[in-house]
Amino acid sequence: MLLRADHISKTFFRSTGSANYFYAVSPLSMEIAPGTVTVLTGRSGSGKTTLLNMLSGILEPTEGKVWADDTDLYGLKDAALSRFRNDRIGVVSQARSAVDTLTVAENILLPAKLYGKTPPEEETRYWMKAFEIAPLADAMPKELSGGELRRMAIIRALVQDPDVLFADEPTGDLDDENTKKVLSALHAFAHERNRAVFIVTHENEAVKYADRLFRMEKGQIMQPESE
Amino acid sequence: MKKQIIPGCVMLVLSLVIAIGSFTFLSPCVHEDGSVGACHWAGRALLGLGCLLAVLSVLALLSGRARFGIYLSSLAVCTVGILTPGTLISLCRMDSMRCRAVMQPAMIILFAAAGLAALCGALACGRKEKGRT
Amino acid sequence: MKNAPLPLKNLIRKPGRTTALVLLTAFLALAVFGGSVIILSLRTGLRSLEARLGADIILVPSEAQSKISFQNMFLQGTTGAFYMDAAVTDKAMGVPGVEKTAPQTFLASLKADCCSVKIQVIGIDPEKDFTVQPWIARSLTGELGDMDVVTGCRVEAGIGEIIRIYDQRCKVVARLEPTGTGLDTAVYCNMGTMNTLLAAAEAKGVSHKISSGDDSVVSAVYVKVKDGYDIDTVNSALTGKLRKVTAVRTRSMITGVSDSLAGISRTVTTMVIVIWALALIILMLAYILIVRERSREFAVLRLIGASGNMLGRMALTESAVCGLAGGLVGTGLAAIGVFSFSALIESSLGLPYLLPDPGTLLLLAAGTVILSAAVSALASAFAAWRLSRVNPGTALREGN
Repeated sequence: MLLRADHISKTFFRSTGSANYFYAVSPLSMEIAPGTVTVLTGRSGSGKTTLLNMLSGILEPTEGKVWADDTDLYGLKDAALSRFRNDRIGVVSQARSAVDTLTVAENILLPAKLYGKTPPEEETRYWMKAFEIAPLADAMPKELSGGELRRMAIIRALVQDPDVLFADEPTGDLDDENTKKVLSALHAFAHERNRAVFIVTHENEAVKYADRLFRMEKGQIMQPESE
Repeated sequence: MKKQIIPGCVMLVLSLVIAIGSFTFLSPCVHEDGSVGACHWAGRALLGLGCLLAVLSVLALLSGRARFGIYLSSLAVCTVGILTPGTLISLCRMDSMRCRAVMQPAMIILFAAAGLAALCGALACGRKEKGRT
Repeated sequence: MKNAPLPLKNLIRKPGRTTALVLLTAFLALAVFGGSVIILSLRTGLRSLEARLGADIILVPSEAQSKISFQNMFLQGTTGAFYMDAAVTDKAMGVPGVEKTAPQTFLASLKADCCSVKIQVIGIDPEKDFTVQPWIARSLTGELGDMDVVTGCRVEAGIGEIIRIYDQRCKVVARLEPTGTGLDTAVYCNMGTMNTLLAAAEAKGVSHKISSGDDSVVSAVYVKVKDGYDIDTVNSALTGKLRKVTAVRTRSMITGVSDSLAGISRTVTTMVIVIWALALIILMLAYILIVRERSREFAVLRLIGASGNMLGRMALTESAVCGLAGGLVGTGLAAIGVFSFSALIESSLGLPYLLPDPGTLLLLAAGTVILSAAVSALASAFAAWRLSRVNPGTALREGN
């Protein structure tokens, strides 16, 4: 699936300052192609997460359109867009994103369960082992550390097997070893399965895994730094 | 552990209400001429059962290993308590009399609640015992 | 548990929150079921009283202070004994417009005789009686013979049992169906038995003599007025003709009762409404607070592809399940209370009180449970609507 942003921008209301509105993301166009890892870097507040949210179908752009092949994402009704995201888009949020009333394994299988799909239990076991949280399968999220929760969220997105996987600071709480593990897993996911991976990060390590690298400044994308 | 102790506390409170109630706010009929009817003796029996249950509750709280058995015997005491007013010891003949309008239903409810607590306690102990083996 | 739907898992794994919500709705159900049963029982009691009072006018001796002691006896089962000349029955028949008359004689038993409490013994004339006889006929197939008694439903005595009244052995031959009135605590016999009992009472020093010196006495005469005659006119005619006798219109007794009943109904209804309003507000606030607390959880669900409607449905399901559980608990507790203590409720209200039939009660219980679930869902509707509009992007950030 080719994801295409067509002149999308996001403005937010601000009560202070001279102008009432400010651009979180200035109008921009970009493509996210299968089989590539796209890495977006930039300082805090530069609009990276806003861009990720718009591309992943979570936040409607003020102007412009996001196309998934021939589908206008924000032309879909909420139910259809939600289903589309569940089927084809995986998101690893920057924030802690576990449902506290479910165990770790249940959290990972939740996307499949929402729409009554066959739960990918085999894959879940594989990734939990690979990311060293297998013993925590029946633990509740509150018993986990930040790093463990982060890995849980990444596994949840991976086992969904989405066409496009968005990861917002996926290595934020991880040590060097786990950072490498996660980044190479994402890289392998893109190349071996011909999926698109979009990573927003501060991490220099991530740059090594990028097929395309963008830098964002004050809501604007600088030219790709490498191809 | 908490699940084994709470039923004992509930039982203790209920048994004290039964024992104290049996001669105060849940007492049987009082006759102006000082005569006593069958319901008076039912009240005495309930006082005894209430005290017995209170002792059992304290034992359940203090003892460790015997707790399961104490809860089971409390259950038996509660069954006797439920049957005492009206079945084992007869009461006044008229529904509107205090012993039948107040004492009997209140005592049955209190003993039933205490019995339920005893059952919960026994189940909690049983489950833990099972988990240990 | 592992395969339970998400809303159920949410409820089970947050036991504190769930218990609080269940208790709140249980309180609602308790108020509405308890209140309704009491009001319905009072209405059933009033209908039963109207049916039992087949007479239009009741004649009692003036000394009976007309309504007061008589009405108490009728409604609350307090004992009363007052007498007048038995000839009143026939004299009343002579008044134009009177269709039927039925005498009754009252005697209060001594405490020790039966059950350490006085009970009202009522002698009737099975030939003439049209007030109690139809009810007795429903429980007793044969004649009410000498030294036979029929007991009200609240007198605990088995059929065939012998009860002693003034040392006379009386055999219980039937028990009446409940009426919800003071008549439930009375014992009925024929006039022959009553005369024996009166004589026995006399021997024990309980006098029933009236000043005229006549041995034949009655306590009350029930009068049925012919169709087409004005009851008030007949009432005045009776008062005019009979000396030392007060004529009481049964209608006025029933009106008195239904007035008090209306008052109590109003009070109970107001209380139930106030409780509902309060609990509903608390429930709504609780759900709004819960949504704030759970906004991150719902944002996560949005993130992985749950639609707004799915979240709304989930919130509604959770609250409906809480409401259902609360409804069951509350109705159950109210049922235990209202049914166990019905005798106490009856005596403290001092009004005819008769539980409705089991079918009605079952229907009422089912209605209460459904209502609780519906109200609980309704209270969470606003919260659910807000949830369905949660934006995962912003909500997760706020939760940070």
